[in-house]
Amino acid sequence: MRKYTLLTFLVALCALALVLAGPACTTKGSSSTDDKSKIHVGIVFDIGGKDDRSFNAAAWVGVKCAETGKRPDGTPCENKKPLDIVLRDVEPGTPNAIEPAMRAFAERNYDLIIGVGFAQAPIMEQVAKDYPNIRFAIVDGVSELPNVASLVFKEHEGSFLVGMLAAKTTKSDTLGFIGGMDIPLIHRFETGYEEGAHAVNPNIRIIQNYVGVTDSAWNNPGKGKELALSQIGKGADVIFTAAGNSGLGAFDAVEQAGTTPDGRATHFVIGVDSDQNCVKPGFVLTSMVKRVDNAVYQIVLDVVNGQFSGGIHVYGLDKDGVGYAMDQCNQKLVQPEAIQEAEAAKQKITSGQIKVTDAMAK
Amino acid sequence: MKLLRQLIFPLIAVVAAFLVGAIFVLLIGDSPVETYRQLLGNAFSWPDGIGYTLFNATPLIFTGLAVAVAFRCGLLNIGAEGQLYVASFATAWVCILFGGVVVDVFGQPVNYSIVSLPAIILIPLGCLTAIVVGALWGAIPGFLKARFGSHEVINTIMMNFIAVALVSYFTQYHYKVPGDPILETAPVGAAAHIPRLGKFIPGLPERIPLNLAFILALIACALVYIFLWRTKWGYEIRATGANPTAAEYGGINVRKQIVLAMAVSGGLAGMVGINEVMGYRYRYYDGFSDNYGFTGIAVALLGRNHPVGVIFAAILFAILSRGGIFVDAFTEHVSKDLVQVLQGTIILFVAAEAIFRGPFGRFGLLKRSKV
Repeated sequence: MRKYTLLTFLVALCALALVLAGPACTTKGSSSTDDKSKIHVGIVFDIGGKDDRSFNAAAWVGVKCAETGKRPDGTPCENKKPLDIVLRDVEPGTPNAIEPAMRAFAERNYDLIIGVGFAQAPIMEQVAKDYPNIRFAIVDGVSELPNVASLVFKEHEGSFLVGMLAAKTTKSDTLGFIGGMDIPLIHRFETGYEEGAHAVNPNIRIIQNYVGVTDSAWNNPGKGKELALSQIGKGADVIFTAAGNSGLGAFDAVEQAGTTPDGRATHFVIGVDSDQNCVKPGFVLTSMVKRVDNAVYQIVLDVVNGQFSGGIHVYGLDKDGVGYAMDQCNQKLVQPEAIQEAEAAKQKITSGQIKVTDAMAK
Repeated sequence: MKLLRQLIFPLIAVVAAFLVGAIFVLLIGDSPVETYRQLLGNAFSWPDGIGYTLFNATPLIFTGLAVAVAFRCGLLNIGAEGQLYVASFATAWVCILFGGVVVDVFGQPVNYSIVSLPAIILIPLGCLTAIVVGALWGAIPGFLKARFGSHEVINTIMMNFIAVALVSYFTQYHYKVPGDPILETAPVGAAAHIPRLGKFIPGLPERIPLNLAFILALIACALVYIFLWRTKWGYEIRATGANPTAAEYGGINVRKQIVLAMAVSGGLAGMVGINEVMGYRYRYYDGFSDNYGFTGIAVALLGRNHPVGVIFAAILFAILSRGGIFVDAFTEHVSKDLVQVLQGTIILFVAAEAIFRGPFGRFGLLKRSKV
């Protein structure tokens, strides 16, 4: 007898399923996904996900502008027209989901597949080999396949400029640097920053620390704050972070260090990747922005115009691929004289008069 | 009829979970039909769907079996995650040490090995390493329980942290190729690569990582069945699980059974390393496990701690993990966290069965089965 009640229950559940599912499928027809005439773009984010307020967020802005002409928060994009594309995204969450995510787009013959972050480079290499007719783009990684565009940035050049601004601002002649994961890419930020500071004042001391050696180093604000406080204890009064989410701990640390009676902060932090000046207004000297959004938008535009080319696409100061951010949150913090010097150095770097060491160059 | 009774509750749990999931999807604002088409429809396409689904299922079969064997002895092995990490790392270590010259990430030939063994010796050696190291790591909490009575749940959880930290330390400071931005070891020698099934099955491209480890997983299922139900040791393990006091009275050395069950469990979990290192990435990649050890608990629960059930449950969870990516990419609003909702609800309903009719209360499901 009990068996039958169970069966009845099961049948009832199935019926319920049909009732629930029935009306739903009529309310929403097939969306623009199936429109084969449009360019299809798939983007696979890094483990951090598209809301990291930094690196992935910048890539998301780039593709979102290409799709709608609006940033994810609804504000219009300057200089970026909507390109009438179909955009799909995946946040893999675990390293294992990256390859299937890329293949999911490739199986459906997407026109362009974008991978965000250096960790995806070897995976993309595999997938791109299997799908030679699909175009790929990798941010921060390098591949030599003809159907892969490698979008790389001259982080050392941008870091040089913020190093100069830091050196013009410091009163203790001691600067701090906090890196996320101890990898060559982050050393590129560090050496550029050091050289920039030393270009202003060769006697400046730079204290550098790294949050860790694993992926979790990008996501440990507690440790970031600890390192920042210890650097402040050793006399550093401007700290540059290149540590993803962990860097936000340093923002807390300089806020905790407080202000002088006239309201000016005693210690400053320099943000990274996205413009983080307004995260803690008054405490953020500037941000070393890496315009991942520009690079990503440009590659989508290239595909739409049929001008896609593989190989290495370098974004330096000359293409506004990197730079320092000035806005209403930090304009009172940086001396006009410092900006003049930084602009002069920018000219010299783009013209080749100043060579900034690239820590990743072999 | 007996079989039907065995099947009905897991089936209800799955169907009910999909209904609950459908409500969530409706609330989020997508069509459940379209969402479930993305979730399930991509699992059965040939060759990518089926290939990737079975590939995803392979580690879950191993960990599901691992948890099931421990369950049968009345032990909850939460440590499969740690066991598979140390075993995978050890497998990579052995396969590098005896693998000969390899090409590193920069395309340069390098030699990290002391001697180059042929595939016919290296492959069995690599498999054996995975099993033995996993078994040793699993046997430690078993020994602690048998000797000192410390609870295996606490010990296995803590040993997970030790395992993850240990292998990540070794990878970072001793076995990473200098300059490689990714936290991974050098590649293993080509002799340690086990063939992908694409070599044998026409129409299945070799790029799909489904490999011989899947066949090994099926063999492991058969062996576990024979071990548990057709051998003296299996009988003693099940007797211990059913009632340790009675088993001891019956002349069974309960402490020995606890260590044995944990070692077998750890060895099965360790076999994930064969699939990962020798069949897929050909190196140890730090943080590779997508919570296989923990999903294994759910797989064992849904599969009713039976090898056949474990296969089906592992395939179901593999379908979900593949489908989650398609849901994330090709629906308007629903993210792949839907898969977590489904998995959670399935476990909830399966566990609820024990509340419905388990005579032993909360843990009825674990101990209810007849010896």
